[in-house]
Amino acid sequence: MTQDVQSNNFIALADVALRNEDLQHAIGEGTRTAYYRRLDTMFANSDEHGEFMRQQAAEAKRRALRELPELLETAERNLQKNGYKVEWAEDAAQANQLVLDIARRHQVRTITKSKSMLTEELGTNHAMENAGLHVVETDLGEYIIQLAGETPSHIVGPVMHKTKAEIRDVFVRELGMAPTDNAEKMVAFARRMLREDFLSADMGISGGNFLIAETGSIGLVMNEGNGRMCTSLPRVHVALIGIEKIVDTVEDYITLTQVLPSSSTGQKMTVYTNILNGPSHAGEEDGPEHAYVILVDNGRSDIYATKYAEVLSCIRCGACQNACPVYRTMGGHAYGWVYGGPIGAVLTPLFVGLENATPLPHASSLCGSCKQVCPVDIDLPRMLLDLRWDLVREGESKAGWDAAMKMWAIGMTSPRRFALGGKAARAGQAIMGDYMPGVLGNWSKHRDFPDFAPKPFRQLWRERAPSHKPGTS
Amino acid sequence: MSARDRILGKLRQTRKPFSDVQPICERRHMIPRHDLSRREQLQLFADEAEAVGCFVYQLEQNEAFEQIMELIGEDRSVLSWEQGEIPFEGLQGMLGSLGVTVAEENDGEVRVGITGVNAALAATGSLILESGGGRYRNTSLLPDVHIALLRADQITPDLETWQQTQKDAGYPAFTEASNTTVITGPSKTADIAHQLVKGAHGPREVHVMILE
Repeated sequence: MTQDVQSNNFIALADVALRNEDLQHAIGEGTRTAYYRRLDTMFANSDEHGEFMRQQAAEAKRRALRELPELLETAERNLQKNGYKVEWAEDAAQANQLVLDIARRHQVRTITKSKSMLTEELGTNHAMENAGLHVVETDLGEYIIQLAGETPSHIVGPVMHKTKAEIRDVFVRELGMAPTDNAEKMVAFARRMLREDFLSADMGISGGNFLIAETGSIGLVMNEGNGRMCTSLPRVHVALIGIEKIVDTVEDYITLTQVLPSSSTGQKMTVYTNILNGPSHAGEEDGPEHAYVILVDNGRSDIYATKYAEVLSCIRCGACQNACPVYRTMGGHAYGWVYGGPIGAVLTPLFVGLENATPLPHASSLCGSCKQVCPVDIDLPRMLLDLRWDLVREGESKAGWDAAMKMWAIGMTSPRRFALGGKAARAGQAIMGDYMPGVLGNWSKHRDFPDFAPKPFRQLWRERAPSHKPGTS
Repeated sequence: MSARDRILGKLRQTRKPFSDVQPICERRHMIPRHDLSRREQLQLFADEAEAVGCFVYQLEQNEAFEQIMELIGEDRSVLSWEQGEIPFEGLQGMLGSLGVTVAEENDGEVRVGITGVNAALAATGSLILESGGGRYRNTSLLPDVHIALLRADQITPDLETWQQTQKDAGYPAFTEASNTTVITGPSKTADIAHQLVKGAHGPREVHVMILE
């Protein structure tokens, strides 16, 4: 793994985020906006239709995964027909080495790169820089992240956690921009800087949102146009694509490439829905001379063989992050690796090892929102529960936790003990207020402790339904 | 054994997942189709394209030329697809007679780019552009202002219908052109404090002229 895994520090990292009001405000606004835009677009026609399209998308991904090895071979054949050179990489080291070999073969010095979560997993930028190559991220959000030396906080909006003033400071400090608080001027400034990079780059690196087996095409979605530039202007194009990105037919692709932005930003289509079919043809004046596809495994074939295979359906839309009450309060960095939010809480343990991400399966209230908004209906709550089960089986459960659960069991198995417990809790709160002793303090540090009802439910029930006898309704 | 064989071997070792997933019998379009007259379809396209930030005009050829010249302003050169690829006969000659020349396709300094389209989608207000000889990718990408010229009969209901029509005609989508791009509005970003800014890397303005 190339990006340091910090996921076991989840509690401490969450604490940092919870003390940062700017971050909370920025993440809160960003996720809320996207959440409601998704609702408006996915269900613009009717709830029934939106749900149907979600299932149509889910079926397309499941069907492709079922035939994964066969479709990969079909895709390889059709990519080659289109003029792509196809390479395969089992892990990050192999993938980055392949990119470096291609760069050497074509005497590449500068690289422009469009947004790709896979290359975050692989640490491709670091590998290129260590080999003396100049790599520029060209998605505006990723550009800011690269300048600030950070990692993306959100799958779709990598810089969602930053305020305008923070971004201004990055541009002023790193690039000498004349200070301004006008977002349009900042974008125009970045456009000028990056335009020079685009026109002079030798190689462009992209990811791939979809790989269409039937036609050997790469589907990319974007709003800024940087992904078109990275795949058109330099003489060499390299696409790094996870093996799970495959779709069977053009029809499947057309469903998915519309469901993706609808779920992600609430756009019916992204500004550019770009389909690539290899290098420039004879008689074409622009487009790359050489085009490569690197099919990357990096842990996916391991997941494929487990009860978590469904998570490979993910199309990286970020809807589960926008819907998650945990993500919405602290953003993505607390999760300690590339992916944050519910999808990150499942993917990270699977990719980096459960022992390196023990808090993440618990970083959820299991409210179910993530499954409900998922455009391909991934059962994330079920997987979070299964991961917790795996943790218990691997002996990660703590003695204190076991003791607490035993206490709880004692209380819950007798009505008399249950009533006594309620009385004790109300009396305790009257004395202690919001202060919670010991480990319970972790819970109440950033939250108001809800008041216990003055009268328990059992008492209300007795008072409201005096004639009711159990078993007579 | 190669990396390829090891990956495929691993995937084949395991039982195929999702064998219980039911196929979708009746596939739907993302945006349900309504039977519209040609006139209504054109109006829907114009409304949707404007909703995503395009400027849409329906005009005769001579009015279009005036409009194009207004957008070119004082500039002395434009980017443009080859004359034969644009549904406006003699446009480049007319521009030339006013001293406006066509620059190299990769000139990143030119402000206005003129293209035709392969099709336009009413449901989303999108333009489909396929690359090819004389149909440069850069023309709709590098300039600040993109002018797309099309005929009303190039408007089709949606992406699903376009794909089916292409298939039926023996030119299936995403097989011939090295690049197909579906453009829905001007280039934009909301990366800075969720504020929408047009013209992130590509055109800040997209002018769609439907010629009568």
